[in-house]
Amino acid sequence: MSYFIEDYGVRGHNAVALEDSIMQKGKQVTANSKILEGFVSPFNAAVAERLINAQFTVAGKTSMNEFGIPSLLNGQTEVLGAVKVVSDGVVDYALCNDIFGQYRKQAAENSCCYIHPTYGTVSRFGIIPLASSMDRIGVVCKNISDGFNVLSKIAGNDFRDGAMYPEKTYKYEISDKRIRIGIPKAVTQKDELFDENVTKTLGECFQTVDMELENFDVYKQVVYILSCAEISNNISRYDGVKFGYRTPAYRGVNELYINTRSEGFGTDVKLTALMGAMVLSQENYVPYYEKAMKVRRLIKNSLRFDNYDVIALPCSIGNDPYENLSLYALSALAGLPSVTFKHNGHNIQLVGNVKREDLLLTAWEVCRHEL
Amino acid sequence: MDIDIYESMTKMSLSEPERSEISAQADRLVNSFAALESINTNDVDVLFTVLDIKNVFRDDAAIKEIPKETLLSNAPEQYDGYFQAPKTLE
Repeated sequence: MSYFIEDYGVRGHNAVALEDSIMQKGKQVTANSKILEGFVSPFNAAVAERLINAQFTVAGKTSMNEFGIPSLLNGQTEVLGAVKVVSDGVVDYALCNDIFGQYRKQAAENSCCYIHPTYGTVSRFGIIPLASSMDRIGVVCKNISDGFNVLSKIAGNDFRDGAMYPEKTYKYEISDKRIRIGIPKAVTQKDELFDENVTKTLGECFQTVDMELENFDVYKQVVYILSCAEISNNISRYDGVKFGYRTPAYRGVNELYINTRSEGFGTDVKLTALMGAMVLSQENYVPYYEKAMKVRRLIKNSLRFDNYDVIALPCSIGNDPYENLSLYALSALAGLPSVTFKHNGHNIQLVGNVKREDLLLTAWEVCRHEL
Repeated sequence: MDIDIYESMTKMSLSEPERSEISAQADRLVNSFAALESINTNDVDVLFTVLDIKNVFRDDAAIKEIPKETLLSNAPEQYDGYFQAPKTLE
């Protein structure tokens, strides 16, 4: 995968790359899908507007999986543009939307960091919607402290996004609090090296607390069912009528829809759309979609952030992308912030409570200086 | 999983290689969903969104920020200031 779908040639300390799902007025935005070929953004995404107002410049639009949907069919074999562009030092920061964890995982694997903010603190206005209850823009960076500086420029309430916390701005500062790290042993044991080395070294710098992630064994099913349903709805707008690709061969409006969508979407998007339609269908709504929404509540309610401040998780538990979804589902389902980074050869994910990014920053600083 | 039904619902037509690839993956996913059955969700409310805040509405007033020409410029076909599409009724 190359760095950019469109490279504006801008470089330097204030250059930020945007995933090709983030709109910039007058520039093409395609989410790497043929269905949006040639689509020119009529306005700026809130994050692009805020970056530009804060004297940052846009380096280009980074290459991505189609609509940000990772391949369950073939796995993620290539490094995504937003990670590669930072990892190779082309720019210092990239912004992207990460529901399924592919950016978080790859950032750590490629010696970068990823900041995944609390849901509802960064405006989704002007991003190509994927799964609306989970969409959020995060930062790929070389250094979490610098990444939080960029995040502070784009976070804050925006009236154009109806699902946001009211705070106008956020400051991310190091806390004096002595961090307690929750270790979900049943999960960390799935990655032997993480379990042996990382949990031991975390114990040398932090107070660690044994904990359990209830229903972890169905995290992947819940996030998959809910995200497919939302994605299937969101991509129903691509029909070849008002914008984007239109098939050249059709007789009547029904064929226009079918041929446009069949030619415009790739296989992974088609799988997601079909699965979404399935879980929302009359016969499957209750056993799958409604059930997943109820389990989502159980998962959110099961967390005990009064006993620990941050939860430590590995970034991968094998090569199966579907299994690895489990590790990134907690943040997506409960709207929690997280950071991923590599430290002493180990890929670490820390998940915090809502709007407690300060504790993630603090934990990362401690890791950096003491581990 | 009988994907033909959902193919029609989603207004898509799969090629044969896509059908075989997607069918295998869809069956695997549906089989994995069975694990949800064992979780007791009696008396549990659904969770649509994680925010504990109310929806925010703006004033019900039209905002004409984007000129008609700009919006039409992304249309695959347009005619006389309108989006152009085939007849929806014969």
